[in-house]
Amino acid sequence: MSFITDKQTLDDLNITGRFSPQSLFSLFNATRTRGGEKLLDRMFHEPLSDPAAINSRSGVLKYFHERELSFPVSAQVFEDAEAYLGGSTGSSFLAVAGDLLRKKALETAVKDEQYGHLQNGLLATIGMLNALQGFLQKVSDLSTGQFEAVQAALNTHRAKWLQDAPEGQPLSLFQLARYDHLIRHVLREETENILDFMYHLDVYIAVSNVARARGFSYAQALPKEQNIFRTTAVSHPALEKAVANPLTLQEDRNVLFLTGANMAGKSTFMKSLGIAVYLAHMGFPVAAKDMQFSVRDGLYTSINVPDNLNLGYSHFYAEVLRVKKVAEEVAKGHDLLVIFDELFKGTNVKDAYDATLAVTKEFSTYRNSFFVISTHIIEVGDRLKEDCDNLQFSYLPTIMEGTVPRYPYTLTAGITSDRHGMVIIENEKILEMIE
Amino acid sequence: MLFTTDKQTLDDLNIFGKHGGDSIYNIFNRCATRGGAGILEEMFRYPLADSEAINKRSGIIQSFAALDTSFPFKTAAFDAATPYLANTDERSKLTVQENSVARKLTNMMAMDADTQLIYKGVESLTDLLKQAKEFIKELDGNGFYREEKEEMSVILNDPAFAAILQSREKLSHAQIAEFDVILRFRQRNLVEKLLGLIFYLDVYLSVAKVAAERKFVFPKALPANQQGNGHDLLKLEGVYHPLVKNAVPNSIHVTTDSNVIFLTGANMAGKSTFMKSLSIAMFLAHAGFPVAAKKMEFAVLDGVYTTINLPDNLGMGASHFYAEVLRVKKMAQELSLKKDLFIVFDELFRGTNVKDAYEATIAITSAFAKKRESIFVISTHIIEAGDVLKEKCGNISFVYLPTRMKGHQPEYTYTLEQGITSDRHGMVIVNNEGILEILRNGKKKPQKTTAT
Repeated sequence: MSFITDKQTLDDLNITGRFSPQSLFSLFNATRTRGGEKLLDRMFHEPLSDPAAINSRSGVLKYFHERELSFPVSAQVFEDAEAYLGGSTGSSFLAVAGDLLRKKALETAVKDEQYGHLQNGLLATIGMLNALQGFLQKVSDLSTGQFEAVQAALNTHRAKWLQDAPEGQPLSLFQLARYDHLIRHVLREETENILDFMYHLDVYIAVSNVARARGFSYAQALPKEQNIFRTTAVSHPALEKAVANPLTLQEDRNVLFLTGANMAGKSTFMKSLGIAVYLAHMGFPVAAKDMQFSVRDGLYTSINVPDNLNLGYSHFYAEVLRVKKVAEEVAKGHDLLVIFDELFKGTNVKDAYDATLAVTKEFSTYRNSFFVISTHIIEVGDRLKEDCDNLQFSYLPTIMEGTVPRYPYTLTAGITSDRHGMVIIENEKILEMIE
Repeated sequence: MLFTTDKQTLDDLNIFGKHGGDSIYNIFNRCATRGGAGILEEMFRYPLADSEAINKRSGIIQSFAALDTSFPFKTAAFDAATPYLANTDERSKLTVQENSVARKLTNMMAMDADTQLIYKGVESLTDLLKQAKEFIKELDGNGFYREEKEEMSVILNDPAFAAILQSREKLSHAQIAEFDVILRFRQRNLVEKLLGLIFYLDVYLSVAKVAAERKFVFPKALPANQQGNGHDLLKLEGVYHPLVKNAVPNSIHVTTDSNVIFLTGANMAGKSTFMKSLSIAMFLAHAGFPVAAKKMEFAVLDGVYTTINLPDNLGMGASHFYAEVLRVKKMAQELSLKKDLFIVFDELFRGTNVKDAYEATIAITSAFAKKRESIFVISTHIIEAGDVLKEKCGNISFVYLPTRMKGHQPEYTYTLEQGITSDRHGMVIVNNEGILEILRNGKKKPQKTTAT
């Protein structure tokens, strides 16, 4: 079963979005080939849900992370090879040779360029395969199925011909026909696999480079049944100088009740957590240290819920529908991570109190899922403390220095009643401005 | 001074909308020409802040609507004329001398693209000029649209165009070569000016058609220099949201003694929709456009700012509350420049805790209330703030949108009433959606005794 999430979640966490400069996709997109970019996009849209697959991918990435390798061929050579391999050729050696002879004649007669292109493309392909051969020797101690399969394809007796090919100098018509027939017909399947492998290589190198530059680590996926999430320091990957916080969620402490003043960093912390879990399910590096997690079936967040007048929803109703959707998923027995920022902020205080209390209580009975809920209504916390035993309470503190609030962004146990909204308004000198 | 607004407002009111979706712009854009669509967009980007200009534009549109005039030109003619005029290369001129038998033969078989472009361009511009002349003649005797009509006839009566206007249906090669020089080079400025006037005409006619179809009314801009206490700022009858089906109309009268509107009401009672309808009407009125209402008179203001769906912006390091504070600060800055504005805040300070929101709402609202020439619409869930404000300021008008409970189903009238309401039924909605039942009856996994 694939990992479930939805558009609201992807938007909240700003995960996909090729054209949004601040999305996580853009953060990791240092790929050099178009195929690599496409593959990266696909990985972002299809997180994994099998611990073995996750650990295998993160293992490969970690291997690259530690070795600082670069993509074995230049962009130009790769593009030429890609274009050449995209075309097709005749099915028998004679047909290929005949066709080449025709092209050669055209070249001499009317300066036709097809023959030259073919020659170029073939040379680029041979160059690429040889470079790949050399590259694979450097990573020979990496033993996953994918690498071994490519290694085997390059070592078949027919592929070995290629290594004898003279590099950099023009081929004779006979050589050209022989290699063309070999690469694009006899070894068609193998070369397609190799091309696909090159895209993977591109992604591995790009992602591990980003991870190295930003000091990301790799999470360890655990089987679902263990029901645990643990990290000693999780932070927001896209923010500079982000403050990291430790967090542990487990079956008897599966609900995190989060409070804190405005600007204390509640939303950022929640986004950091959501992003770490999402990336971890892709097998990608995370901005979290020593992270271990039981694989989840899905992730739902509710951080910026827009109203939708076109569909006739008010803001509050949009929130209610969102909670309902998540409730349905939870009730199906899925193991989820659910994040609600400022539950029911679109309504009056009394309603928000009643609704937050009732909904949180019901959610907390699902011990197999994790919930993180933030609110301004701290009274709900006091009630929940009495009624449930599986909640943990944390807050993000504010330290007042004179009239200037300072935020350490470090998670602290307990509930806070910090507030300083008026201080901010006074600091901005808004009232004086209107006078 | 220019009329000001910003992206947040345009997004809130869905003026331009997202690609393909419904938007206010799309309601009005029935322009036949691309140039007209561009000018319509410009009118929306830069509304007017001068009552004369507003009344003039709305007068023109209104009269066209009454006449039910339709756009007299063919769209295809503009498609041919635009690329033709864009080619300013002197060398592409047609020459008469070359009109040999050989050339005629080649043209008969296959005309090259450039020549074809020139032929088509000259032919369609000739048609356009002739039609424009006709159109002006038809309009003669009407009082509105005078200045533009005058400009058009000055251009058309220019002796340079006499030959073109008198030409027959089918143009010869020599004629095309001659006209090409006039249209594309010698009198280029005049031709472009005429096209510009036609694009404006296109906008007027398109808007007029929409107004007639949708029964929109033309608002009247009050002169800006009214003096004294208690003069009118806005008289609006039967205003509704043009993009909402079966929208319920509301009326509101704002004077300098009631220029702050304090709006309460339960969720889903229609607060946001009412604010959007009101703001859209104000925005369109300042563009000189017809509005979705029965009757509208308004004092011309210097800008419209709404804050209805404010996103937080983590990338810039701002929380939701801080985003609101910055937004209020921006309004304050604009007000301190002595501008008279129309300002809307939906759920002021919803991004913070109740006590802060209560204090901040009172402080900001009473500060705003001192600006008597601006109009403020503020909605909130914190009804307690309303009671304090009632004591503190005399120029606040309290209105609400009611909810009637019918058993367990809330019903909404969407009609404004005077006062403050404490309606609430959030839990009713939560219960009606059956969320708690879904969770109670769901598949719960047996709890393990040893958690690792």
